[in-house]
Amino acid sequence: MVGPHPEEAEPAARAGLGPWRLTSRRLRRDKGALAAGAVFVLLVAACLAAPLWANHVAETTPEENHLSDQVTIDGKRTDVVDMLGKPIGPTWSGHFFLGADSNGRDIMVRLLYGGRNSLLIGLAAALGTILLGLLVGLVAGYYRGRSDSVIRWAMDVIWAFPVVLLGVALGVALALGGLSIGPVDIAGDSLAIPTLIIAVVYVPYMARPVRGQALALREREFVEAARAQGMGSLRIVFTEILPNVASTLVVFLPLLVANAILLEASLSFLGAGVQPPNASWGTMIAEGVDRIATAPHLTIVPGVMLVLSVLSLNVFGEGVRDALDPRARVRIEH
Amino acid sequence: MKRLCVLAAVLGIAAVASTGLVACGDSDSSSSGSGGGGAGEPSSVTIAQASQPDYLDPALSYTIHGWEPMWTVYTPLITYQREEGEAGSELMPGLAEALPEVSADGKTYELTLRKGLKYSDGTPVKASDFEHTIKRVLNLESGGASYYEVIKGADAYLSGGNPDADISGIETNDKTGEITIELTAPEGAFSYVLAMNFASLVPGDTPFENMTKDPPPGVGAYEFTKSVPNREFVLERNPNFDEGTIPGIPAAKIDTIKTVIQPSVPQETQDVINNELDFMEEVPAADFVAEILERFGPEGSEEQRYKEFTTLSTYYFFLNTKVPPFDDPKVREAVNLGVDKPGLARLFAGTLEPGCSFLPPGMPGYSESLDSGGCPWGDPNEAPDLERAKQLIKEAGAEGAKVTVWGDNVDPTPKVTQAFADQLNQMGLDAEPKILDGGVYFQTIGNESTEAQTGFLNWFGDFPHPSNFFFLMNGETIQPTNNQNMSNVDDPHINKEIDELGEEPDLPKVADRWEDLNEYLVEKAYIVPYGYRKLTTFMSERMNFEDCTPISPIIYNDYSQWCLKDE
Repeated sequence: MVGPHPEEAEPAARAGLGPWRLTSRRLRRDKGALAAGAVFVLLVAACLAAPLWANHVAETTPEENHLSDQVTIDGKRTDVVDMLGKPIGPTWSGHFFLGADSNGRDIMVRLLYGGRNSLLIGLAAALGTILLGLLVGLVAGYYRGRSDSVIRWAMDVIWAFPVVLLGVALGVALALGGLSIGPVDIAGDSLAIPTLIIAVVYVPYMARPVRGQALALREREFVEAARAQGMGSLRIVFTEILPNVASTLVVFLPLLVANAILLEASLSFLGAGVQPPNASWGTMIAEGVDRIATAPHLTIVPGVMLVLSVLSLNVFGEGVRDALDPRARVRIEH
Repeated sequence: MKRLCVLAAVLGIAAVASTGLVACGDSDSSSSGSGGGGAGEPSSVTIAQASQPDYLDPALSYTIHGWEPMWTVYTPLITYQREEGEAGSELMPGLAEALPEVSADGKTYELTLRKGLKYSDGTPVKASDFEHTIKRVLNLESGGASYYEVIKGADAYLSGGNPDADISGIETNDKTGEITIELTAPEGAFSYVLAMNFASLVPGDTPFENMTKDPPPGVGAYEFTKSVPNREFVLERNPNFDEGTIPGIPAAKIDTIKTVIQPSVPQETQDVINNELDFMEEVPAADFVAEILERFGPEGSEEQRYKEFTTLSTYYFFLNTKVPPFDDPKVREAVNLGVDKPGLARLFAGTLEPGCSFLPPGMPGYSESLDSGGCPWGDPNEAPDLERAKQLIKEAGAEGAKVTVWGDNVDPTPKVTQAFADQLNQMGLDAEPKILDGGVYFQTIGNESTEAQTGFLNWFGDFPHPSNFFFLMNGETIQPTNNQNMSNVDDPHINKEIDELGEEPDLPKVADRWEDLNEYLVEKAYIVPYGYRKLTTFMSERMNFEDCTPISPIIYNDYSQWCLKDE
């Protein structure tokens, strides 16, 4: 039995607590990480509640334009968008709580629905990156040889491009004509397009560490023992190596989601991500730039949501990483 | 990855902060090298455009960014009065001694070149330069080539493939200066075609290639002395052009006009406000319009430096009459009834005047009644009749019909496209906007395989003749690719009227019939006109705004008539 790291006082280790329980305990003690995680959960909950706000409070949809409408503010009828195109600011009431954009659309409603899109794309893209990264990393690290060479070459090619540049190039190309491969046909304005692009450009960031771990683990005694017992390569990869890289996945997931959300916002800002009339925080910032002097809320509000979500995920992710420090892990070997 | 995560968090903050910095512009702001104007001192101004003109070659340019500077450098045989309002739409002799003599059958035009004219480089102007000018337009496949294909022999010249071959329908005599042009068919607007920038004379040895980097000499108040694409170009007073060289065309008052390319419209706007720039080609950034009107407008608190003027343009949505649901007249009528024109106008920050007519104000054939209570679809300045629109959609059985609304990505088109899609949804259709890059937009919607149902369009008149607008509605112009008649209008009455009226050289004689045709088109609801664009003149305080900023209905801002305050 291997005891805990000498610098760490871990009473639980004496009782033989598994690594996941230890991780959970450490995480619960990290108040900062927990607070950040709570903030993110609140953001997600708010965005999931978008239809409730839209239908029962704002009484509008994220696409509905109110160019010629008026609202009553302090007893006075005011144009939602004035004759010079300037939209109203926050009313702090049910209708146009955070104001309107240049098309007279309710910003709060678009913020929440846009958040759904941004978070959905971020999460789905991160999961896609993990799946693809795991697959190529494990194959490259375990099988080595030609597979490793080809996969490393492909990863190096993707890695060579700045992420945003590659994302924009792919986004612009696919936004126009969509993606059609065999039976798979995705329209250019589908959310699946930016999801796929972001998932692919981040694969090297996942594949490299997984490959490194797989390379190291394949030489371990328990893997040799599994081979000696006649276990097939595929089974070894999934039953012996994959569980031992799980901690890497857990650490990477929140950080990948944060990066994916940020990249989605960048692509959408540049017109290569989410396509109109779908909202996302990136498109909202882009739409508000030409009104930054007279209606700064158009860019500030989605910007703040973006910062909050990315920061909270990063802080939480750091907390998870610290909680998973393998030096303190108790490992029971057969 | 850890460094990347921290960087990602920082970038999130930077993303918000940087949007604030955008409004401050970049450090590489437009040049402020203007000066002079005192007695004996050369005067110069610096102006800006947000993008490089398409070409600085009279044979090729087809945008206002190119035509405005070239109006001061090149002159065709016939040109326009240098006046404001309706007078500015009247033709006058340019390099020709007089307006053309047109034969009784309308097919032969005779002109004589003025004597003693020289290009800005001192080369004498010859009658044969006219044929060379037209050859360049045809040979370089200019956007304006189609206007000159009516000249006899133009088709043969094009198909012959020899740039130096003759065009049989153009006869010139360098000794007498006589120019005779024969057409294959009478063309009532041909005098206006001769007055287009494409037909501005250039020397007979000007190469058959794009001369943007080294524009050829011309006959005008200015000459190009420098051209660095995407950076700047410079106009200087033409030493071979004085007051009286061409009666009616004034000589330059400012010695040098330097145009810089400044992609940031907010930066341009701020620079003019701060008097670091003397003029901006674009409409000021929407964010600044309220301040500009308040300070520099006609009723501003400071000296007037800003004005708006309506152009010969119409903004409209096409309704493809060949595909559902707009093949049904009831659906088209519903859309015309339900579109919110005042609402759409707000997206243009006050630079769109809501309207109902296809021909814009100032164009012969414009129907004022359509914009003052006589529009069959309701007053364009009032709220739409949404209930009636919904009812018509229901009666047509088109509720829930899927519609794609096309638009390009040039501001404010994406906003307009999304707004129109939303309005169609309110009427009962199921519309979604589709935004394309401006570089591929017209080719895409003009391709019949796209089956584009509806989308954003506008047209700025090339010359003040209704045929320049109505060719967009002529069934004979429908083609499978690069189609301009996006609604695929093929109405026998419209086709017949366009053909007959187009042959008449005396426009005032048939203006009433053009007006009737305009009203007929609007009633048939083949398109959805919703307004006429205003452009602006916004200048620094150095410029003599009150006396030297006439607005030509053809070219808008006439640089050659600008002057500084101390002149």
